[in-house]
Amino acid sequence: MRNALTLTLALLLIAVPAAAHHGWSSYDGNDPLTLTGTILEASYTYPHGTIMLETPDKTWLTVLAPPSRMSARGLPSSDLTVGAKATVEGYPSRQDPKEMRAERITIHGKTIELR
Amino acid sequence: MPSGTTLLDALEEGSFATAMRESIWLYPAVETVHIIGFAILVGAVIMFDLRVLGISKRVPVRMLAQHLLPWALAALLLIIPAGFLMFSADANSLITNRAFVLKMVLLVLAASNATAFHLGALRNVEHWDQGTTAPRSARLHAVASLLIWLGVITCGRMIAYV
Repeated sequence: MRNALTLTLALLLIAVPAAAHHGWSSYDGNDPLTLTGTILEASYTYPHGTIMLETPDKTWLTVLAPPSRMSARGLPSSDLTVGAKATVEGYPSRQDPKEMRAERITIHGKTIELR
Repeated sequence: MPSGTTLLDALEEGSFATAMRESIWLYPAVETVHIIGFAILVGAVIMFDLRVLGISKRVPVRMLAQHLLPWALAALLLIIPAGFLMFSADANSLITNRAFVLKMVLLVLAASNATAFHLGALRNVEHWDQGTTAPRSARLHAVASLLIWLGVITCGRMIAYV
C-alpha cells in the first residue's frame, strides 16, 4: 500500500505541471490568428476581460486577460474604447468558431502582452 | 419554475457577483482567501490520513483528530463562501467547465468517504489509537481520502486551463 501511495503521489507531481503547461487548451495553438477590427463592446471584468471585435468576415468574441494583469501592463479600462480600432494576435476556440483568445493586443498605438 | 440557466443568470447578476467581476482587487482577494482555507483543510486531512496509514504511529490518532478536525471545519468557513463568490461571478461558464464539474463530484465523494470513516472504522479507534497498524478499512479510507483531495486540488487548478 505504501508503494502504491508513493507511486500515485509521484505520478500526480509529474502529471500536474505537464497538464498545466498546456494551458489555454481550449484554444488551438496551431492556428494563430491576427485580426484587425473595430471594438463593438468591451468588458473589463474577472475572470478575464473581453471585447467584441468586428472584422470584415465576422464579429469575434475576443478573450483578453484578467483586469489586474491588463492594468499592470498599461492597458487600463479607459483604453478599451468602443469604436476604437484594435489588432489582436491569438488562437481560435476549439469549441466556438466566433471566439478567440488574444496573446497580445495593439490599440491606440501600443502593444500589450496579455499572457 | 425558473430553469437552471435562469437561476445561474440571477446569481451572476447579483450585486456581489457584479462586484467580483468589476473590482480590480476583489476577485484576487477572494481567491486568496479560498486558497488559505483549503491549505489548512487539505493540509489537516493529509496529515491525518498519513497517520492512519502508519506514519508517526506514536502519535495517538484520537489526539491528532481532536487537534486537526476543528481547524479543518473552521477552514470551511473561509473556503465555501469564497468559492461560492467566485462561482457566482462566472456561474454559467463554470457549470459547463469539466474540471469544475469533476471537482464538485470529487467533493461529494470526499464528504461521503469522511462520513463513512467516522461512522465506521473510527468508532473503535481505541483499539488502534497508538503504536499499532490501523485496520485495513481505515487505511483504505485514508488512501481514498488522499487521492480524492489531491484530485480536488488538481481539478480546481485545472478550471483555468480547460
